Amino acid sequence: MTEKPGNLVDQRETVFIVDDDESIREGVSNLLEAVGINAKCYATAEGFRAHWSAAMAGCLLLDARLPGIGGVEFQERLRTSGARIPVIFMTAHGDIPMVRKVMKAGAVEFLTKPFQKEELLHAVEQAFASDRARRIEEAILDSTRARIESLTPREREVMALVTSGLLNKQIAGELNLSEITVKMHRRQVMEKMRANSLAELVRLCERVRLPL
Amino acid sequence: MPATDEIRLSNWPMDYAVRPCAIASFFVFVAFLWTMPLQHVIAYPFVFLFFGAIMGSAWFGGMIAGFVAVALSSLFVTYFFVPPLYSMHVAKESQSFFAAFILCSIAITVVSSSRKRAESAIRIARDQLEAKVQERTAELQRSNLDIKESERQLRILTEAIPQQIWRTDPQGRIEYCNHHLCDYLGQRTEELKGEAFFNVIHPEDNALFRQGWQAALKTGDRFEIEARVRAASGGYRWFLVRSISQRREDGRIARWYGIHIDIQQQHRAQQNLVQAQDDLARMQRSLSMAEMAASIAHELNQPLTALVTHASACREWLQAKPANLEKVSATAEKIIQESMRAGVVVSRVRALFKKEEQVRELTSMNRLIQELARLLRDEAIRKDVSIRLQLAADLPQLEMDPVQIQQVILNLAMNGMDAMMQVAKPRELIIRTEKHGVGEILVAVEDHGPGIAPETAARIFEPFFTTKPQGTGMGLAICRGIIEAHDGKIWTENSVRGGAALQFTVRSQS
Repeated sequence: MTEKPGNLVDQRETVFIVDDDESIREGVSNLLEAVGINAKCYATAEGFRAHWSAAMAGCLLLDARLPGIGGVEFQERLRTSGARIPVIFMTAHGDIPMVRKVMKAGAVEFLTKPFQKEELLHAVEQAFASDRARRIEEAILDSTRARIESLTPREREVMALVTSGLLNKQIAGELNLSEITVKMHRRQVMEKMRANSLAELVRLCERVRLPL
Repeated sequence: MPATDEIRLSNWPMDYAVRPCAIASFFVFVAFLWTMPLQHVIAYPFVFLFFGAIMGSAWFGGMIAGFVAVALSSLFVTYFFVPPLYSMHVAKESQSFFAAFILCSIAITVVSSSRKRAESAIRIARDQLEAKVQERTAELQRSNLDIKESERQLRILTEAIPQQIWRTDPQGRIEYCNHHLCDYLGQRTEELKGEAFFNVIHPEDNALFRQGWQAALKTGDRFEIEARVRAASGGYRWFLVRSISQRREDGRIARWYGIHIDIQQQHRAQQNLVQAQDDLARMQRSLSMAEMAASIAHELNQPLTALVTHASACREWLQAKPANLEKVSATAEKIIQESMRAGVVVSRVRALFKKEEQVRELTSMNRLIQELARLLRDEAIRKDVSIRLQLAADLPQLEMDPVQIQQVILNLAMNGMDAMMQVAKPRELIIRTEKHGVGEILVAVEDHGPGIAPETAARIFEPFFTTKPQGTGMGLAICRGIIEAHDGKIWTENSVRGGAALQFTVRSQS
């Protein structure tokens, strides 16, 4: 379908541990290190937020109850700010409403302390996979946007009408062009967008939510 | 004449002239009439009847009448019976006789009238005495009647008032029981004399009752005791038995008066109250336990989580090719640390659930508060409150019950956090310690909530007083009990930050 952007594989995936209890941070990071997973520790959500950028790969291992801004609230803030890093929650006593809330908000897993190595690693794997998918998607989006950027205004007009399902003749009428000219623009669009079929073009456009 | 008549001066012509003259004339005339015929029968000189007349006049008419009689008699005797007869002339040979007659007459008058006066005086005195005696007798009779009446009233009263009343002699032997007491005990006064009076007291209260009563009998002090008394039916009721002694003028005890006041209702109510207070205290404690249980679970799960992850890591380090022994060793060290931490949590939980008896341990107040702050952490996060500790460095260690003191601070901290729920973030609870005199520590828990109204502040430590809809009103009352048991005081102040500052002191109990 499309090729993967090359930098995704190279990027070192990291588990960002946010817990105010030092012994938890030490234990979890020790375990992750032992199984060869990169880990970074933060005592507060704010501390993590200050260091994080969208380009960082990995997942967030977040204590549900944190001093200052709580873990659950922090997840919400991340989401609304557009940061789509996968979140694994951990808590010493999870109540069901809280679990439901964070899972609905898109948390990958909810670990109840004390948790086993397998639970943790499984959750981390899942989160990494999800993050990988996120990054791939974001990469595709980025390249799609770049391709759209390369279109001329006329080509964009033609693409909008094509993807809305009009025939060449109708487009020609709409834009007050000859049918031949429309066909030429259309071929140009397909080429620049690297789409093999009309269906693929439509999917690409939908993904970036191109305003019609 | 009655002595009182002499005072009536308005009547003096009657008393001093007319009446004496009339009496004297009457007696002298009678004597004259008798002497006239008798002089021929009895030998001369027969004038003795005149002596009688003078005596009678002086007796009945007094001194004046006596002298009038003497004068009249002298005239009659001179004229009729002294020769020469029927003339006022006295013959020479009769002059000595006549002088003797007059002298005798005067003497008779004086003697008779003074005798009469003395007799009258005696009679008057006697009369007065008698009047007085009669008066006193009447008075006595009247007061006797009064006493009898008031005695009757008292008896009616002691029988009528719905209380059990008794009376004993100075040795404490029953003399009287009113019918309420007799009815209640189902025994007559006679039956209650001696031991029987003690036998109706409940066996458990009996020894104390006898002891108290014997002591009172010795000293004469007021006797008061609460005891169960057996009713005729065999059941027991609680009574307040109270007795006071009545003393004679010489200070010795005359009697003991006693009353049995039925306090069954009050006693039951009081017991219920004590029971309710105990229940509430227990409930309050278990409530805070429930609140703390979550914190404890969290506290215990933290080291357990660290333990599990470290142990898993340790295995990984060992299984690596080659095994990373340096990491294994470091991880094992962590495992020991975390295990110790879990152990501390467990022992603290045990301390929380331990015993009721008084414990006094040399304790560092600051360490106590730091421990508590850990326990409060979870609750504080839930309520979005940060806890700041301002602990004085130079505090002495004091003898105290660490669990109870922690309970007090926990209670104050919970209240403080609750108070701040209504105010905007950031919310901060300050727990402060400072030196407060020698061997005394002050602990303050300050919030910046709405504060405490003065009328509330006055009652805030009373049992059952609460401003929270679900409050039991026992929390601060229990706190006060604990603090007072530690020789301390607990009070409220307004914090400089605008909220309430609940403070207490704990004193060294050496």
